[in-house]
Amino acid sequence: MVRTIITTIGSGLGLTLYSTATLADWTVNLTPGVTDVSRSVFDLHMTIFWICVAIALVVFGVMFWSIFHHRKSRGAQAHHFHENTLVEVIWTLIPIVILVAMAIPATATLVDMYDTDEAELDIQITGYQWKWRYDYLDHDLTFFSNLSTPREQISNEADKQEHYLLEVDRHLVLPVDTRIRFLLTSNDVIHSWWVPALAVKKDAIPGFINDAWTVINEPGIYRGQCAELCGKDHGFMPVVVEAVSRAEFQQWLADARAAEQAEAAAAERVWTLDELMQQGEQVYLRACAACHLPNGEGVPGAFPALKGSAITLGDVGAHIDIVLNGKSGTAMQAFRDQLSATELAAVITYERNAWGNSLGEAVSPAQIARLLQPATGEAEQ
Amino acid sequence: MSDQPNFWQTLLSVLSSFFGVQSERNRERDFRHGRPIHYILTGLLMATLFVLGVILLVRWALSLAGI
Ligand code: HEC
Ligand SMILES: [Cu+2]
Repeated sequence: MVRTIITTIGSGLGLTLYSTATLADWTVNLTPGVTDVSRSVFDLHMTIFWICVAIALVVFGVMFWSIFHHRKSRGAQAHHFHENTLVEVIWTLIPIVILVAMAIPATATLVDMYDTDEAELDIQITGYQWKWRYDYLDHDLTFFSNLSTPREQISNEADKQEHYLLEVDRHLVLPVDTRIRFLLTSNDVIHSWWVPALAVKKDAIPGFINDAWTVINEPGIYRGQCAELCGKDHGFMPVVVEAVSRAEFQQWLADARAAEQAEAAAAERVWTLDELMQQGEQVYLRACAACHLPNGEGVPGAFPALKGSAITLGDVGAHIDIVLNGKSGTAMQAFRDQLSATELAAVITYERNAWGNSLGEAVSPAQIARLLQPATGEAEQ
Repeated sequence: MSDQPNFWQTLLSVLSSFFGVQSERNRERDFRHGRPIHYILTGLLMATLFVLGVILLVRWALSLAGI
């Protein structure tokens, strides 16, 4: 009996050791990541892991040996004594020594992680329910990054793809080999910006600014998530970092700013109702449907229905006001900084003409652009 | 009165309590002949020194890191 058990365990262990090559495919361990800091975090983790394994082997080894060696059938007699100060001192000292030995490299890594001086690029990261906003502080560029996984995959009407819930419409594009500082804060509740490959996980707290830094060594796409429970769609606000060469980054910056200007110019032309409805539906599904639902019926008691609501069917000024400025103290955010003039006009037009709401009138992007102007000016002063 | 633990014995008992291990002999001596106020005062003093020690340790670690 005992022999069979031992052979089974032995061959099991043998198999495990034999197949260490396949361990690389496992995703249960930490990632070594793509920065020097993530590397040292990984190395620390492995060192401490092996120390734990060694301790376990020694402690359980002695324990099992003692149990086996002093078993009753061999006539072992229990020793009766109350205490042994020397042994107790030894088994308290050994853990202290081990802990201090682990604390020394851990402290060195922590000190390094917290030293955010001398950054070449500053990115402000703001958490929103439930998306991230990125501000390239020295480059006059701001955008929101929304989940882009199609709703059909979330509701199991379509097959889930490889990057299910880890994909966004706009990546946070960063240059490699550049010391980048992140300044983290939040617009509403506490979020946490987490990208394992960079070994950055920092709380984004309303009214506070936390900082972190990174130097990415390898170009690539690195995915992460919000790591602080922040409400209904906490699991639906992923982070996607795209690291590119420094030259590509400059090109991307120029393109992104040109696209912003084109967007502003587009607001000036005349849009037809159909065009606005089409764009409005997309904006609605991306920015509003999480709360007001795709069919506009909302969630009773939490998010009001927009279908047949007094505001979406009433005075257009009040409708525009709540979408641009939100309603403080509720989950209804101010969308004036989150969407462009065209997107705002489109989504308001859509709400006034979808799901059986049929006012037939369009809100023009130019009209919204005029409303946005003075407030933006004030905010910058 | 001569049975009462002296300062060094009291200190050793307080440090043993910080460490978490005390011999039965000393425990019995403390409980039989000691006065609680001595241990409480020594304990407060040692706790203060401990906190100061941690502060110094952190300062030293940071100065090593050049901060
Ligand atoms: C995070 C959840 C959330 C999101 C996202 C959201 N809303 Fe709201 N919205 C609310 C809540 C909550 C209210 C009710 C506020 C109140 O108490 O008056 C509201 C109210 C409204 C109203 C007034 C409805 C009425 O009859 O009172 C309109 C119009 C509206 N939202 C439009 C939008 C638009 C357009 C978007 C997308 C650009 C959007 N909302 C996105 C939560 C949300
Ligand atoms: Cu969050």
